[in-house]
Amino acid sequence: MNELLLQGLVNGIVVGLIYALIGVSLNVIFGVLRVVNFAHGEFIVLGAYGAYFAQQLLGLSPLLAMPLVFLVFGLLGYGLYFLLVQRLSRSNDPEHASLLVMFGLSLVLGALMLLAFEADSRSLNFSLEPPFLMFGNVILPTTKLLGLAVSVVITGCLAYFLYRTMPGKALRAIIMNRDAIQIVGVDLNHLSALTFGLGLGLAGITGIIVSMIFPSFSPFIGQDYTLIGFIVIVLGGLGHPIGAVAGGILFGLAEQTAMVFFSGTVAMLLGFVLLIAVILIRPAGLFGVQNLR
Amino acid sequence: MSDETRETRIEAQNPLSASQNNPEKTSHIKSLIWGGVVTLIILAFLPVPLFTTNLSFMFYMMLWLTMATSFNFVAGMAGYMPFGYVAFYGIGAYATGVLYKTFGLPIPIALAGAAAAGVAIGLLLAPTLRLKGVYFGIVSLALAMAMKLIISLMPAKITGGSLGLILSSANDPTMAYYAMFAVLLGALAAGTWLSMSRLGIALRAIRDDREAAEVVGVNVVRTRLKAWVMATMFPSLVGGVEAWYTNAIDLESSFNLLVTAKSIVYAMAGGLGFLVGPIVGASALYGIDQLIWRHFPTLNLLILGVVIIALMLLLPRGIVGAFAQRFSRFRRFIP
Repeated sequence: MNELLLQGLVNGIVVGLIYALIGVSLNVIFGVLRVVNFAHGEFIVLGAYGAYFAQQLLGLSPLLAMPLVFLVFGLLGYGLYFLLVQRLSRSNDPEHASLLVMFGLSLVLGALMLLAFEADSRSLNFSLEPPFLMFGNVILPTTKLLGLAVSVVITGCLAYFLYRTMPGKALRAIIMNRDAIQIVGVDLNHLSALTFGLGLGLAGITGIIVSMIFPSFSPFIGQDYTLIGFIVIVLGGLGHPIGAVAGGILFGLAEQTAMVFFSGTVAMLLGFVLLIAVILIRPAGLFGVQNLR
Repeated sequence: MSDETRETRIEAQNPLSASQNNPEKTSHIKSLIWGGVVTLIILAFLPVPLFTTNLSFMFYMMLWLTMATSFNFVAGMAGYMPFGYVAFYGIGAYATGVLYKTFGLPIPIALAGAAAAGVAIGLLLAPTLRLKGVYFGIVSLALAMAMKLIISLMPAKITGGSLGLILSSANDPTMAYYAMFAVLLGALAAGTWLSMSRLGIALRAIRDDREAAEVVGVNVVRTRLKAWVMATMFPSLVGGVEAWYTNAIDLESSFNLLVTAKSIVYAMAGGLGFLVGPIVGASALYGIDQLIWRHFPTLNLLILGVVIIALMLLLPRGIVGAFAQRFSRFRRFIP
């Protein structure tokens, strides 16, 4: 029993860090743009398809496909910002408007993927030697370890970008005070578009990592990832980029331990219960220090 | 609401600024228009079973009219965006199925039970009403998902498990049609009460400026709760009647997010906050939707998504809202 629990906890941390990555990109977009990206999960799945086709057509390994997907999704996000998001800030109720537009986008993307790639699940052809490592009695597949390493590196890069570079600081400044940042001469539109690109680029990479670790993906699972992302960012604090890491690990641990003792359905239910409880009891999120509104 | 529409609304309710029109006459014309719309709806739907046995088209039109109208109670009149609206629809369907099939109660009692179950869950979730903006939307969505998972975890003896429930012994499409008709009339009546009474004024006041409403003595919690109870009861009834009409209930279709999506689209296309908004929106889009759905089932979702995006970007106030903004003189006459 203890070994099972230990295995569950280890899995929880690995899966949690990947969930964190979903949350981080979602939170970057929400924090800066006040856009609730309902279509995030669809972009994640699209990233997985990107890696799949890069492998099938170009023979690229998923790891090499990452920068390519990041670039393509980044450009896509930059363009989509001007097409969809920019107009929303003029709306009476930008948050609701964004929620609805992104909801529409998620339906569109889900349907497009269904039309283009059909309903069958696919999986990446990706394996490492040796297939798994043993730590005492705990088994860790090497793909999971690799995914973990990539997530940590990406989160680290993002943290460095946000806290140590000028554009990153400007980006955080927008989260703190939208009006003041314009006075000091930051091009809000350009930076917002870059942020949307960054968020989608990260979503694409997350999709590749996810498809390396979870067995298969299909056009239907986008919504699940969006919901996981929502749970993570609410746990860690809405609009708090790095808080999402803590939220992701917490949710990963809770989900994986629940899976050890109960079932997958209970684990998912636990996630939603956690989300609702946190919102009702502590809307700023478990780790949100200040109210970011 | 923008300042512009808010101003016209204040104008419509303030006897001093509406010097040339007295407000009683205005509200009289408004009631007349609304009465005309309701009469039209009754005339359109009441005699259908006399002429044809293929009730499906009109049945589902009433279903969406009801869903959009009751969605408007929370979204348009109270200013909430419940993304998990489908939860109440699903609860209604399952409550009806379980009460009829597992407990052997007659359909009318099962439907009453469905309404009671919806309202009970709604009251249970009432604490979420203190959440603002996106938080409410996200929680509402999570609750719909949680509801589906809870039902899937219940013993298959009660809920039928993954196979769902079949109610073939209750098959009576004409009665189900009239049941939906009654639910639609109920929703229209509730809408009339919500918007034309003092309650409606209080609701709009809260939506536009909560603090100011509180200062002038509006009980914010109780007012919102009334709208919320109405908005949870009707989808539960709709879910129950639909289950009766199709005789089949299963988790995937009872908790399909598309139910929320379509309620939103129909209500928004017409114009949130107006009584006639959801009716105009549902009537305009339902036929198109049916046409697309019949011929290109996979395109249905795609087009629904495109319509949502286009509406939000190009016509955020809906058909009626855009009309009211363009011809603001007539704004006060639109129910």
